[in-house]
Amino acid sequence: MRRREGLAAWVFAAPALIVYFVFLVYPALSSLWFSFTDWDGLSPGYNTVGLDNYKDMASDPVVRQAAVNNLIWAVVTVVVPVVLGLVLAVVLNGKVRGKPVLRLIFYTPAVLPLVSVASIWGWLYNPQYGAINAALRAVGLDSLAQPWLGQDSTALGATMVAAIWLRVGFPMLLYLAALQGISPDLYEAATVDGASRWQQFWHITMPGLKPAHYVVIALSVIDSFKVFDLIYAMTYGGPGTATQVMGTWMYFNVFQYNQAGYGTAIAVVITVVAVAVSIPYVRSQTKEHAI
Amino acid sequence: MNRRGFLGLSGAAALATGLAACTGSSSSDRAGGSGTGSKTLRLFTYEDNSTIDLLKAQVKAFDEKNGTTTTVDSLPGSGAAVYPDKLRTELLGGKGPDVWRIWGGQIGAPFVDAKQAADLSAFYTKFGWDSKLSPAAVEGMTFDGVKGGVPFIGAGIGGWYSKAAFSKAGISAPPKTYAELEAANAKLVAAGITPASLGGKYGWDIMRLFEYLLEVSAGPGLHDKLLVGAESWDRPEVVTAFTNFKKWQDQKWLPEGAVGLDPADVENWYVQGKAAYTLTGAWTEAQGIQAAGKKSEDFGVFQLPTDQSQARHSGFVEGYMVNAKSGNPDMAAALIDFLIQPASLEAVKVTNAIVAGAEPDKAALPLSYEWSQGPGKQPFYTIQDQALPKKQADQYFAIQSNVLQGKTTPADAAKKMQDVIKAWKK
Amino acid sequence: MTKTRGGLGTTVVMTLVALLWISPLVLLVITAVRPLSDFIANGPLSWPGTFTFDNFADAWGIGNFATTYRNSLILLVLKVPLGVFISAMLAFALAKLRIRFGTAIMYTVFLGLTIPIYITIVPVFVMARSAGITDSLIGLIGPYLAFGIPFEVLVLQSFFRQLPDEILEAARIDGAGAWRTFLTIALPLSAPALVTVFILDAVATWNEFLFALILLNSDAHKTIPVGLLNFQGQFSNNNTGLAAGILIAVVPILVAYTFLQRWIVGGLTAGASKG
Repeated sequence: MRRREGLAAWVFAAPALIVYFVFLVYPALSSLWFSFTDWDGLSPGYNTVGLDNYKDMASDPVVRQAAVNNLIWAVVTVVVPVVLGLVLAVVLNGKVRGKPVLRLIFYTPAVLPLVSVASIWGWLYNPQYGAINAALRAVGLDSLAQPWLGQDSTALGATMVAAIWLRVGFPMLLYLAALQGISPDLYEAATVDGASRWQQFWHITMPGLKPAHYVVIALSVIDSFKVFDLIYAMTYGGPGTATQVMGTWMYFNVFQYNQAGYGTAIAVVITVVAVAVSIPYVRSQTKEHAI
Repeated sequence: MNRRGFLGLSGAAALATGLAACTGSSSSDRAGGSGTGSKTLRLFTYEDNSTIDLLKAQVKAFDEKNGTTTTVDSLPGSGAAVYPDKLRTELLGGKGPDVWRIWGGQIGAPFVDAKQAADLSAFYTKFGWDSKLSPAAVEGMTFDGVKGGVPFIGAGIGGWYSKAAFSKAGISAPPKTYAELEAANAKLVAAGITPASLGGKYGWDIMRLFEYLLEVSAGPGLHDKLLVGAESWDRPEVVTAFTNFKKWQDQKWLPEGAVGLDPADVENWYVQGKAAYTLTGAWTEAQGIQAAGKKSEDFGVFQLPTDQSQARHSGFVEGYMVNAKSGNPDMAAALIDFLIQPASLEAVKVTNAIVAGAEPDKAALPLSYEWSQGPGKQPFYTIQDQALPKKQADQYFAIQSNVLQGKTTPADAAKKMQDVIKAWKK
Repeated sequence: MTKTRGGLGTTVVMTLVALLWISPLVLLVITAVRPLSDFIANGPLSWPGTFTFDNFADAWGIGNFATTYRNSLILLVLKVPLGVFISAMLAFALAKLRIRFGTAIMYTVFLGLTIPIYITIVPVFVMARSAGITDSLIGLIGPYLAFGIPFEVLVLQSFFRQLPDEILEAARIDGAGAWRTFLTIALPLSAPALVTVFILDAVATWNEFLFALILLNSDAHKTIPVGLLNFQGQFSNNNTGLAAGILIAVVPILVAYTFLQRWIVGGLTAGASKG
């Protein structure tokens, strides 16, 4: 019986695993090799250089800056969209009019091609003619008007605002789906017992969403570690290197600076960090499994 | 200009092709590689939708005359960021195009260095290109002495201005010296007008200002030597250029937060009345002024005054290259010769050709014509997003950005630039 | 009745927040309905002097949408259901079947989320070339499937875990095999999760740019994101055309989302009554 089920399990697992290994794991592993070489990404030849690429990272000031930016980015663009997404999901699952329209509006930014996202926010942030500074000046806050994308101190923050705008729909959608798994009976019983909405949220909704929290937070963390295209499109890593993150810095090295070996080493580091971060998540998921 | 703009993700292609080469199944296995009589050609270009059909019509005319079949593929878009990488993929991937269009400088150079592009000296003799093409432009397609491409477009950077803005500020004529330019800037600011609209989101195009300031302070000889690392950057001329650069931002001669602005957004400010002028090429007459429904006569163009005995401006060339492994290089060269005939260039609306007899139409594009007859005939230095490899160019731009924000002093900037160039040349 | 009364305050607040949220998009719509000359002459943030719908007709031609729409739809129809289905199978095996090395598989799949897509394009390109499927839509399906799998598996397995074991056990006692349990109980009960994953995967597939750019050559095979490049010129962008093109490109996804979201919020009850 048990063996038969074991076999059935592999039949279920096989199609996805085969595709996954052929088109993702194998290509990723074969790229890994280049992190130990000085390959330029163009020439037919290269030398193996051992761990030199990894050592070089330690003395690369841009790597340091990128790591700090990644950390800030991870905290802000995980916490804010997840909390906002949760609030939206709970509200839009409750008593509000026009729910379908509201759900559409909060999700729409996630659908847009990044070209347009970068253009739109570039226009909004324009120091002299942008809507944001215009709004600040209109309410008398002239002193707060900034060249948002044009100075090191505000550029990263400015991209994070766009990221939040873009990403709120994702946790919202996952939480909305998860909320359907909580039985309405629980709320009815709580209401009968005289529990307030707030108490219901903390004692029924939040515990009921526990599995969803794991998924949403894990995916958001990974997503924010991988951040690349939004920054590439909005600031191109600039001004100077002020908004470089590991993802963009890897990309510049591999594809634009003809330093494929070094860039791949950066990618390996990103992956290792992301896996380390994900260990608690995978544990939590497999613990229940080991019955 | 738009290259290096967004959507450069395709750099991956370069890596892909590199690996293709490593795995051994290299491009030599292309079909039809043998024999010289292949009647099929492939042309790869980055023509956009406004001209691609015109080009295809010209190619068809060539095919009808020669009994060939030529496929034209185009990858329009943000130019150098996407296109060269895709081209590299195709070249190493097994069936590259026979003829491709490309920019000069450090963008075209790798294809010649890697011997993917054929040496065209013999065809220069055969078709007499040397006498038809501007020597300065041919120089831009010559790499280490190898004539690797046939230039047909040469673009020079000048000051394009709004006459209304100048007269509002009481400026009667375009500046003739650098001091006059500064004076004009001051008058414009006093009149509440932003003088020069430039943006530095990708490094360019604000570097067009810096390279000009460097030409002013260093002069042609030293400027050229600096770019190839033959002279140290840690010198007063360079410090002066950085000091002036910072002055432009501090005096509000540039838009607020210029380093963060997308050049595509700010280039047309002089047309929109938000700035007095910009530093750009003749394409702005058709794509800026006339595309906005305005008249050329309300605008003007001047060569940026350098106060040097030899007047130069920055510029770049575009041309065609021939695949070193083309099945029929003779026919490929003949196609190029056909496409750079003045009649063909006119048919595909090329307005900045460097081919004798293909000047811009004086009636339709008076300013472009005026430029081509004056500054356009003068020598130029390579625009600095093409004069240095991408990595060094980006470091150069980062230093410029730090100077504008006051995070690096001009003296330190000169030292740092020397470090960058020294590391590159090592 | 209680419904509207209870929600009035929230509705007002949410409407205001929603208005703020879509305000950047208004820029996109305005850009799409003004003439290019007006855009160039006055800049993106000005109010249009005239309005026009010509951009949409022009954009249809410039973006080669007749072809790219068809290609993107083919990819969507072939890839997304298949990807969600095989991911659901793997997720089910991880969550509800006693599979050996389950933990190792979980780690491996999680690893996939962290791999930057552009790192793998190298070997993928080489594989596609040796299989002779560059410049074809078929060549995109493998990589697209592979990059969707980690995310889909992780979301789905987490939802499957929530299914009460008693229901599955009851089915087993009734003589249902793993397949029948999966198809008739696990999938219907997880409708909200499946639809969610379906939407997210559809959006990712619809917008994928890098693989499509590298693997496809000819106009006849290009997808929508690659076709959008046609709005960029060397020196200037056709911004109004691009805005119209983007609206043309995203509308079907938004329409699909609007319809599908009913299943997210209405899914469980339907499934439960069946089970």
